[in-house]
Amino acid sequence: MDRIDSLPTDNICGQRVRPGKPLPFGVSHVPGGLNFSVYTSAGEQCTLVLFRQGAAEPFAELPFPGHYRIGDVFCMVVFGLDFEDLEYGFRIDGPFNPDKGDRFDASKILMDPHARLIAGRDRWGEDPDWQRIYPYRARVSLDDFDWQGERPLEIPMQDLIIYEAHVRAMTQSPSSQTAHPGTYAGLVEKIPYLKDLGINAIELMPIFEFDEFENSRNHPDTGERLYNFWGYSTVGFFAPKAGYAATGKSGMQVDEFKQLVKSFHKAGIEVILDVVFNHTAEGNEHGPTLCFKGLDNKTYYMLTPEGYYFNFSGTGNTLNCNNPIVRSLVLDCLRYWAAEYHIDGFRFDLATILGRDPWGAPLPNPPLLESLAFDPILSSCKLIAEAWDAGGLYQVGTFPAFGRWAEWNGLYRDSVRRYLKGDPGLVGQIAQRVLGSPDLYRMSGRAPATSVNFITCHDGFTLADLVSYNSKHNEANGEGNRDGGDDNHSWNCGAEGWSDDPGIQQLRRRQMLNAFAILLTSRGTPMLLMGDEFGRSQHGNNNAYCIDSPLTWVDWNLLKTNAELQAVVKALIAFRHQHPALRVNRFDGPSSSLLPCSSFHGSTPWQPDWSGESRQLAWMMSCDHRSPNGEPAVDIVYVATNMAHHASWFALPTAPDGYAWHICFNTGDNQHPILVDQPKVDSGLLVGERSVVILQAKPRP
Amino acid sequence: MGLTIESISHPSHHLISLSGEIDTKTATSLMEALAELELASLLELRIDMGAVAFVSSAGLRALLFAKQKMPYESRLVVIGANTSITEVITKTGLSDAMMLVADVSLLN
Repeated sequence: MDRIDSLPTDNICGQRVRPGKPLPFGVSHVPGGLNFSVYTSAGEQCTLVLFRQGAAEPFAELPFPGHYRIGDVFCMVVFGLDFEDLEYGFRIDGPFNPDKGDRFDASKILMDPHARLIAGRDRWGEDPDWQRIYPYRARVSLDDFDWQGERPLEIPMQDLIIYEAHVRAMTQSPSSQTAHPGTYAGLVEKIPYLKDLGINAIELMPIFEFDEFENSRNHPDTGERLYNFWGYSTVGFFAPKAGYAATGKSGMQVDEFKQLVKSFHKAGIEVILDVVFNHTAEGNEHGPTLCFKGLDNKTYYMLTPEGYYFNFSGTGNTLNCNNPIVRSLVLDCLRYWAAEYHIDGFRFDLATILGRDPWGAPLPNPPLLESLAFDPILSSCKLIAEAWDAGGLYQVGTFPAFGRWAEWNGLYRDSVRRYLKGDPGLVGQIAQRVLGSPDLYRMSGRAPATSVNFITCHDGFTLADLVSYNSKHNEANGEGNRDGGDDNHSWNCGAEGWSDDPGIQQLRRRQMLNAFAILLTSRGTPMLLMGDEFGRSQHGNNNAYCIDSPLTWVDWNLLKTNAELQAVVKALIAFRHQHPALRVNRFDGPSSSLLPCSSFHGSTPWQPDWSGESRQLAWMMSCDHRSPNGEPAVDIVYVATNMAHHASWFALPTAPDGYAWHICFNTGDNQHPILVDQPKVDSGLLVGERSVVILQAKPRP
Repeated sequence: MGLTIESISHPSHHLISLSGEIDTKTATSLMEALAELELASLLELRIDMGAVAFVSSAGLRALLFAKQKMPYESRLVVIGANTSITEVITKTGLSDAMMLVADVSLLN
């Protein structure tokens, strides 16, 4: 039976229309037409602007009659539109008083903040028509992907091994040998590699629609075009980046990205999105008016009393996340990605901004963070905070977690980097870090998996550069090497940059293995940076946000050059999966039936050297578990680390009755760091200079 | 450019031959042609796309719509689609629901 609201009641500018429904926001399919709904609190008049696909000028502009407004929402159904050939936007008329926060300007065509498909940047790096009156163009998505029963994986946080990756960088290099380089489809082609490596979560740097041309410029010396390569500047929160889709030109990016998620899930790998809610691409008062500025500037942005933009993000503006309207937008957005795209988790860029009030002060119980923590649709999604921002708020360990939030643990990164290069006074820190940082998380009742442990991420040196450079070398960014952090805690092992000295090469390789050995035997949730497992370098650039070139693209030839390094990382990942003692997710045990849940040791068992000059520490971890055949078993792992420049003897704790120690990895063995035969060790072992040795206790035959 | 649809029933399968472009408007006629078939009992539907220059999202969805009405063990075969159409079908995962062949002689 036809619905009686499927017929038009009015005619506006030749289009058949009727009053619409305020929910859902954005555009939605209704019988015979499309329902458009947009919010503005202080906007006085709203006009729906309709374009044919790609057209420079609109084919219709439909002012909303007064009775098409419900509360602060304008809504209208338009009948008979060809949704595939349609692009739409809004004009909002109202006061323009920047000093009072109002920036309404009816000459601008504004993008729908709920747009789920955005045209305008359909092919990466293809110059658009800069004269266009409407650059980012909302389109209509069907969202009817056939998931064929596939669901999110819901792997427990403590069992995850996260791989941080950039969609384009992963496969843009010809060395990737993919049919569709630089795209979602290209990344799908790398799934067999990632599955074989053993990771079980991929964290994608921003894939919400952004503009690679934002702040685009040419390098003052080389003339090279510089881009917004990383994408930490959102244009559309509900739309996947079209330029990352091989099918972007056909407007099929929604399906292509869903196919990516489906393919990862089939391989047992979760998909986590790096999301940027702290600011938008509209910049400050000098930036463009694309959407929020013209819809309701003082609702969406944090403004000073004079109407200027607060800049806690370091990028020009700050989204007003704890305003109820903005909070709803963020919640709608994440629910949409979780429900419609089956996304497994989110990592929030500069997340402390999400806990600030409209004037920038940190809130004790931020409503947005609480809403996300207890949302029914997001209940099984991982929520990971980057618990600091550019305004100086650093909340690692104190981020309002509501029992749900995990954190990028910046202290883990810094402590392990300093320990690796032999700084004194780090042993006590390392003991905390390898247990999941109880000093940060125990008191507030959180668990080790709260701590996302990482040594490298997109922001900073790659691991190969961490052991090859003492200082950043960011000249390629065109900012005179002034950008990027200086607190890298790196050590070049004897020469700055590339070296053909075999001793230096060997030491760098060992230092990389030491880093992976510590990371993958620490409790918490480990995260690797793409390509680190085979020594990817950015030639000392620690802030390559603007470089779209082989400098930032993963060079897959290194997988052959550094095959041995990759093989050890793969074996360490497998070792972590095999040993539940490394993944215990409680700070208070329980002890296994044979040993404490965790203990520390030095040259003498049970007596770690906590002194400031100590550079040796061993940890033993144990838990009861069920073996693969269901039998009760005890897992025991012992890790000895020696970051001194001389070898050190480690006497081993006595193995429990019926057990013997077997050596599994020795990073100090340049030829065979993986001990395939796992030889037995009796009373102790000599751990070479700057080396890590990993043992397990196995039942005697 | 419009869309020409020819629909012929064979003992082992049903063949729909298309010529032209499939966009939102012409996809409606394709949907109508598909709706006339006994999809619930059809075990093989062949779509000859050798003379189709362009298929929009709506056109591809018309094919999926048919496949979802067909029995689980049935197959939907797309014959002779050009490279750009084939690539879109493959990259977006729609190939999970249909079989792509360059030529009818490749069908067993």
